Amino acid sequence: MLNRLRCTLLGLIGALIAASLAACGTPPSAGGGTGPITIGVSLPLTGEFSQPGKQAERGYKVWQDMINAKGGLLGRQVQLSIVDDASSQDTVVANYTRLITQDRVDLLLGTFSSLLNYPASAVAEKNGMLFVEPAGGAPRMFEQGFHYLFFAQPATAPRQAEVFVKWIESLPADQRPATAAYPLLDDPFTTPIIETMQHDLEALGVRTVYSAIYPPETTNFQPVASAIAQAAPDLVAQGSQFEDGIGLARSLQQLGFSPKMLFQSNAPSFAGQYSSSVGEANTEGVFYTVSWNERAETPLNADFVRRYTELYNNEAPAEDAADAFAAAQVLQAAVEAVGRIDQKALADWLHANKVTTILGDLSWDATGAPQSQFLLAQWQNGRVEIVAPADRATTTTIVHPKPGWK
Amino acid sequence: MTQLVQALVLGVLVGGVYALMASGLTLIFGVMHVVNVAHGAFLIMVATLTWWLWSRTGLDPILAALIMTPLMFGLGWVLHRTVLSRIRGSSVSMSVLLTFGIALVVEGVLNVTGGNVFRSATPEYFDESFVIAGMALPKPHVFGFLTAVVVLGLLHVVLTRTWTGRAIRATSQNHTGAALVGVSAASTAALAFAIGIATTGVGGSVLSVLYPFFPASHYDWISRLLGIIVLGGMGSLPGALVGALVLGLAETLTATYLGLQWSTLVFYVVIMGVLLVRPQGIFGTRLREDVAT
Repeated sequence: MLNRLRCTLLGLIGALIAASLAACGTPPSAGGGTGPITIGVSLPLTGEFSQPGKQAERGYKVWQDMINAKGGLLGRQVQLSIVDDASSQDTVVANYTRLITQDRVDLLLGTFSSLLNYPASAVAEKNGMLFVEPAGGAPRMFEQGFHYLFFAQPATAPRQAEVFVKWIESLPADQRPATAAYPLLDDPFTTPIIETMQHDLEALGVRTVYSAIYPPETTNFQPVASAIAQAAPDLVAQGSQFEDGIGLARSLQQLGFSPKMLFQSNAPSFAGQYSSSVGEANTEGVFYTVSWNERAETPLNADFVRRYTELYNNEAPAEDAADAFAAAQVLQAAVEAVGRIDQKALADWLHANKVTTILGDLSWDATGAPQSQFLLAQWQNGRVEIVAPADRATTTTIVHPKPGWK
Repeated sequence: MTQLVQALVLGVLVGGVYALMASGLTLIFGVMHVVNVAHGAFLIMVATLTWWLWSRTGLDPILAALIMTPLMFGLGWVLHRTVLSRIRGSSVSMSVLLTFGIALVVEGVLNVTGGNVFRSATPEYFDESFVIAGMALPKPHVFGFLTAVVVLGLLHVVLTRTWTGRAIRATSQNHTGAALVGVSAASTAALAFAIGIATTGVGGSVLSVLYPFFPASHYDWISRLLGIIVLGGMGSLPGALVGALVLGLAETLTATYLGLQWSTLVFYVVIMGVLLVRPQGIFGTRLREDVAT
């Protein structure tokens, strides 16, 4: 009995040593050679995040297609090595470890969501590999103090709604909301968006009349909606992903309570999936913030949209695809500027420079947190318009107050 | 007071729909000792087909159940004959592996054919409510609940009033005993499986109106449904009903009174509490495998 226990213990220790050795393997080639440049990516192609994960995959592939058509990176063709992590934190760690130490890829690109990028970025950092990620803006990502991590969106989660608060601040006092309700999904990405907004709006004198956090498993939103309807706030700002955003909007409709302003994170950015789920007429006036816009006049944006549509049966690209494309653009800019694949030199260059992407210009602080601003979007007449900041707006009209439900 | 009544009524409406979705799962376990992990995937498959039918023809999604149910009955029967009958007599864990495989295949097929996008059927009444004595009762929930009552009633009648139903119940209570009095275990199992899967024809149609879904939504649903039948007692139909009502009420009452963040946790606390006192669930019977072997 004792022997068996000892054997098991020894086996476990052996396995641990083997695993840590594998994880600390030497960084791959310094970028010489003439063969294709391989870029390792793990993405949630199945499971909980499969929906955005697939979009990110498309974004990366469109970039690969476009750069190879132009002769590649440093004169070499680019080959993406994309593996599926099934939305699991354990698998994403195993995937990046394998890509770095066994497949010896030349470069990495990030995965989708803060949940997966958090452990994945640690693997990259430990192996001294540049890690540009398209979707992972939770504050704790940047509390790690990593040198090789860069978030390729305009701002981190807590600063995502800044543009909305600024717009409210710009309104004459009698048009500002007097009261607000903040229903929040318990999620490391959405919560900080609304928490910061609540803090900033309270500083502007907007009184909080309702605030509650609900777990991700919540499917029935009638109790939330009736509590909000009773508090009758001017502004409802929901920290939502997709299903819960739809759930609350529908429950508010069923109760017949329509606030003067409705802000939701994420859900309204799902284009047709959003409008068909809440009813197209009911989207009128809904606000959200977004990192990218299909009609933006940023360099290469029109080419990206056109190539995406050609490659994927005339579908329009989603924001997640554009973010992935932008992450690859960041990587590309660094490699082209440095002129060779030297992970440390690439990271140093990105810390010191600004990169132009289809999302606009991006730059980062020492922790890899981006320093730009999101766009304020609003549903108008069944389509999405950018209403702020003024220099990126697609219209000068802002629907306010929001009309009642259809 | 209105708030309490509203929470209670909503809890019952939601619970009824959950009961409908869980009924097939518990029936299949009761008769075959198969934990059908693919149940959620079948619900999502039906929801997707219903959505497709509704968006093409405008057919009311809940009425689409009349088409989906026979379709799923047939699918269940074929699946049993071709795949599930091969693991008869194997352990329960084997059935979990097999049906999990089926769930992944269904998810994959939905992904490839329909695309990995959120869908939701929105017939005329999807955002309307019946207002009764100051309470707003969402129409989709009311219609879903009424459908659930009809289907569960029918299921009850079939199981208690027909010879087929008696054979199914006999097999579920005592395999050997049923075989001794001439009930064919193989065909009863096929029938029970087919009926169990047929309930997803109704459950999925209702789901398509009540909740947005995408191919991977089935993970959420199967975990919720397994919770319900574990609480009620694996294999017990009244158990599924009680378990579902407890879940529905726990969700709405906790959200209204205790705080939103507890609304899903409370249900699992109730499960733990019940299992401590009655490990077989509220209506479950204790398996006497020591005597049988």
